[in-house]
Formats: sequence, structure tokens, C-alpha cells
Amino acid sequence: MIPPRILVKTYLSPLIGMTAYFMQRVTGLLLLFYLLLHVHTVHEISGGPVAFNHAMDAFSNPLFRLLEIGLLGIVILHALNGIRIMVIDFGVATRHQKRLFWGLAVVIGTLIFIAGALPLFMHSVWER
Amino acid sequence: MNKRIFISRSGSGSKSRWQNYTLECSPELTVLDALFSIQQQQDPTIAFRCSCRVGMCGTCGMQINGVSRLACKTRLTELDGKDVFLAPLPHLSVIRDLVISLAPFFEQWRKILPAMRSRDPESQELAVVPEDSAYMRHTAGKRDCITCGLCFSACGVLATNKHYLGPAAINKALLRVLDPRDTARAERLEILDSSQDGVWRCHTQMNCVAVCPKGIDLTESIGFFKRRLLLKNGELES
Amino acid sequence: MSRNAFAWYMQRITGALLVPLLIAHFWVEHFMSATLMRGDLTYEVILSRISNPWWQAIDISFLLIALYHGLNGFYGIVLDYGKIGPRAATATLILIVAVGVAWAIWGIMAFHNL
Repeated sequence: MIPPRILVKTYLSPLIGMTAYFMQRVTGLLLLFYLLLHVHTVHEISGGPVAFNHAMDAFSNPLFRLLEIGLLGIVILHALNGIRIMVIDFGVATRHQKRLFWGLAVVIGTLIFIAGALPLFMHSVWER
Repeated sequence: MNKRIFISRSGSGSKSRWQNYTLECSPELTVLDALFSIQQQQDPTIAFRCSCRVGMCGTCGMQINGVSRLACKTRLTELDGKDVFLAPLPHLSVIRDLVISLAPFFEQWRKILPAMRSRDPESQELAVVPEDSAYMRHTAGKRDCITCGLCFSACGVLATNKHYLGPAAINKALLRVLDPRDTARAERLEILDSSQDGVWRCHTQMNCVAVCPKGIDLTESIGFFKRRLLLKNGELES
Repeated sequence: MSRNAFAWYMQRITGALLVPLLIAHFWVEHFMSATLMRGDLTYEVILSRISNPWWQAIDISFLLIALYHGLNGFYGIVLDYGKIGPRAATATLILIVAVGVAWAIWGIMAFHNL
């Protein structure tokens, strides 16, 4: 019954490490699930050009392009937070873990995401 | 300023419920002061623990607005908003209202063999720890644990796995394992290496570090074991 | 090195390896040419890359490393949910390894008709 706005502030500030952990777990499971779908789709290539191109046509829908951009975002979050975890694990910067989170996963992550997502979006969604 | 203090009330077996009290708060008032004021002037039945009132004993630990903190060290002015929510420390047995039993905490504490197993218990000589030993170098700032249980309550792993040893126990184990006078190192390392209870369950959430009133870098202590168990097979510089 | 220490270590090694592999993969599949940027991934476009055995080796290694990282992570999640007893833990591990092997074979089989 503690109001959500108090809990949000708690998890964004003193307990940001816990939020990073949740995010790492959730993105990890999502990526594992995605890997399953991806291997399934790539497997279509063994069916020859007709079967494969037919499968790929289903993905030309702009919605899938947007999901792909979302996938990029999820990968970036998981990877950069993973790097942050490795830095902490080496005992290098445990005092700075919160700054590491905001710096790495958010600032640098957003920059990389925009660098990656914007061209993709412009070419594959905007132009259609 | 006026604040509304919500206290989690519960008794033997009864479900917990929030009961709120309004309090006129002067700026220097701590949560503990507020509790005393409420108990003396509004409701003598509320139960809470305290002892030293200056952040030394660790007795007044409770969950304040979702964070495990010492009531005597938390000023009401630090807490945003008009409402303050006081609940008993999580992961421990609740006796009544804000009073908990540290029994689960100490059950994990005992598992790491907290007592030193001396090389020569009959010795009459003082056992000195040299200034330049690994112990002195690696345990600076780690020896101040007051067993308040805040780290144990804040740990997200303990929320789902009550068999995890917890930060305080592992930190205590570090003090023993690095102590050149101790002989139970191998036993402790084996306990700490346990796949379901040991250091590998720590996922560097660092809630423990965020709440420790003594500023102990608990995640670093746990990480020390991960790197030692990993790289050196438990071998330590002497 | 204990088994748990090894798994912990490998999670970090595989994680670190996945970063350049992923960057390379995203680049090669989505950024290397205008066709790819539009998302026109046809059989012919992909075949030109995937018929090269070096690329096959990289892709298969990528899959195996990603599978190890993901399934090891998943096993960690299982262990976090309270004590499941040593026999149940071993049984879960065997199940996860079996799933991983099947998944890897399925992925490698994608190349068998090229």
C-alpha cells in the first residue's frame, strides 16, 4: 500500500542497482525468447529461396521493422549493463555503480541506440 | 509541519494493516522520536525496538518508505511528501508491529562459522595481526558490522531465496578467512561456494551497500570471494 | 576452480565475446549496404554471405556462445528461486543442457541445404 510514486523514487535512486538487476533479467529472458524465434526463422533458409523469401516477406511489415529497432534497444541495455556488472565484479568501481548505470546504460546507450535506430527507421519504416 | 505516519500493525497471527497518526514535526525530529511521541501521546500500544538512539547498536531497523533504515538516523525532513510508511524489516520474523526477530539473520550468520578457530587455543601469547597483513589491507572499513540486519532485509535475492547466506554473513566470513590466526578457511570457502546458498547467488544489486548504516562495501566483500574462489582456488596471499 | 566459479566466469567471458559478435552481426545484416538498410533481406542477398564457410563458422560460434550465455543465465534464475534440492538442481541442469543441444543442432541444421 506504499504509494507507487514513493516506490518509483526509491528504485530510481537509492536502489537503482536493484532496478538494473530487474532490467538485466527481463531483457535477458526476452533475448532468449527472441533467439528461439530467430533460429526458427533462419532455419527457413534451408527450405530454399522460395520458402525463405516467403518467410521474409512476412517481416517486411513496418511493425516488424519497429520491433527490430526495439530489439536493438533491448540488446544495448543488456550489453551495456552487462559491461557495468563486469566492471563492478572486478572490484573497480563499486562506489560508482549508480553513476556507471546512468552513464553507461542510459547516456551512452541512448546515443548508440539513436545512432543505430535512426538510420534503420529512416530507411526501412519511414520510406515505406 | 504536519506529517501522517502510517505504521504497520500486526499481532500474533493477525494480518497486518496500516494505522495512521498525524504528528506535528519539528525539523530535527527523527523517525524514532516520532514513534516515541506517538506512543506517549497518541497510542501506547504500538510496539517498536530501540536501544542507543545514536546509530551504534542497530536495534531500531525498520522499513521506512520502502527502504530498510535505522529509525534513529532518519530525519523526517529527509522523507519526501506528507506520508511516511513504517513497516517491519522484511525477510525476518515479525513479532508485533515493527518488532522483528533477527533469528533468520543469525541462522545464516552461524553457517559461516563466525567464531575464530584459533591455531593454538591454549596459547598464552597475544595473537597479533601485523599491520601489513592481507587482513589489515583488505578489511579496512569492513570490520564495523553492527548486525542490524538492514542488508539482509534489503537484499533482493533473499526476497525469493531464504537460503542465501546474505551480505553480513559473507562479510563476516571475509574477516575470518583473511585472518592469519584462523584455521577454518577451507571449511568456510566450501560453504561460501555452495551453488544455492553461497556467494554465487549475489547479483550485485547493491541494495546492501545502499542501506548499510556503517558504509561497509558489502558487494566488494562478496566479490572478493567470487574472484578468490575463481582465480586462486581459494588461495590467498598470506 | 569450482564448477560454480567456472560458470560465473564463463558468463562474463561469453558476455564479453557477444558484444563484438553482435556488433558485427547487426552491421552485416542491417547496415552494410543500402539494400540491407531497407530490410530487403532476400535469400540471394543472404546466400552471398552465408555460403562462405568462414561466415558459417562465425555464425555457428555466435549461436553456441549466445546459447551458453542465455541458458546459463536462465539456470541462475532457477537457482535464485529458493532451494530446489541437489537432485532437482541436477535434473534441471540436465534438462537445460538437453534443450541447449537440441537448439544448437536445429540452428546448425539451417546451413545443411546451401
